[in-house]
Amino acid sequence: MNELKIEDLSCKRGESKVLNNINIIIKSGETLVVKGRNGSGKTTLLRILSNFITSYQGKVSLNDLSILEDNLYNNKFNLIGQKNSLKDNLSIKKNLELWDIIFNESLDHAKLLERDNLDHLINRDVGSLSDGQKKCISLHRLNYNKYEFWFLDEPFVYLDEANTNSLIEKINRFNENMGIVILTSNINLPKKFHKEVNI
Amino acid sequence: MLNLIKRDLLLSFYSSANFFFTVSFFVLILILIPFAFGTQSDQLKLLFKGVVWIALALSIIITVDRIYNADYEDGNLDIIMQKNKTIEYLVISKYVTHWFIYCLPLLVILPILSFLFYLDYFETIQIFINLFIGSFGMVFIANFVSALTLGAKRTIFLKAIIMIPLFVPFIIFGSDAASWPILLGLSMLSFVISIYVTAYGLRLYGE
Repeated sequence: MNELKIEDLSCKRGESKVLNNINIIIKSGETLVVKGRNGSGKTTLLRILSNFITSYQGKVSLNDLSILEDNLYNNKFNLIGQKNSLKDNLSIKKNLELWDIIFNESLDHAKLLERDNLDHLINRDVGSLSDGQKKCISLHRLNYNKYEFWFLDEPFVYLDEANTNSLIEKINRFNENMGIVILTSNINLPKKFHKEVNI
Repeated sequence: MLNLIKRDLLLSFYSSANFFFTVSFFVLILILIPFAFGTQSDQLKLLFKGVVWIALALSIIITVDRIYNADYEDGNLDIIMQKNKTIEYLVISKYVTHWFIYCLPLLVILPILSFLFYLDYFETIQIFINLFIGSFGMVFIANFVSALTLGAKRTIFLKAIIMIPLFVPFIIFGSDAASWPILLGLSMLSFVISIYVTAYGLRLYGE
């Protein structure tokens, strides 16, 4: 059972304060939706949770151990940022091979892409895909399955209805397996998740 | 660390055009010498020993955007940094792959070029040793410049202006066959400074 606790979190970006005294507790099996206007610090919050930003006030802890001191923490979360992490000049197949090496895990991509109806794209160059298709491939990283947390930055942008529903289903399944999901979104989602916070 | 080396080598194999561009660029600069200065063998020999360093410096400068910027722009650097908490390992793996992909091919082609410029075996070996040692130092410098200017788009001129003065000591000592120990010292010094500064630059980017 994991408990991720954010206490009195405040953060400055340049001269402006983007996060002001945020307090959130999230437990295994829950999904938190972070909402807020543009520039309110949603991405900053995810980058703090991913240990990229380390200078902030307040405390972020996993099971009462600060994430800055937890050496194993970085291997526990899967962060899908707004960038696709795809090489435009390579085919999807080659991109997935490169990911396999970085993630140190070999997946049966053909089968997984077939499940998501993306298998017809496998030999296409990423540069020739639409933004929505790129986003779908980018979310394919969620299939690497040794993670306890998913941090998703605007995952629903560019997705059509069918893909939105399939992502929500994936999030539900991950929650059922006791995974924690924190996602930022400004879109009205068709489903209510466990927790919602406005920053 | 080995993962990253494997990944970068595979990536460069998949986009192999890059690597041919660098080799062609290096060869073309050297081929310009006889056009500019004529084909007298003594003069060519002397010029080759110096210009080969300028060609190496320029070849490294044109590759500097590929070290961290490409991965930064498409978001792969986030994943790589997350998976490698000790950033120094990431930096060392970049040194290895950058040298292997962009400098090794130049060294491989060097003997062929030096024979075209009337250099004998002995002189070729001397140049080869110097370039081998000096290229590491230049790669270390290119890496830290790349990391420090991360996120600044289309700044190859800025990077070149920062790097060229730092390459000057290598070019001064490189053309003298007996000064390989000095080159070795310079390379080691660049390593010590570069690994610290590159890791700092990458951490700063994370913020």
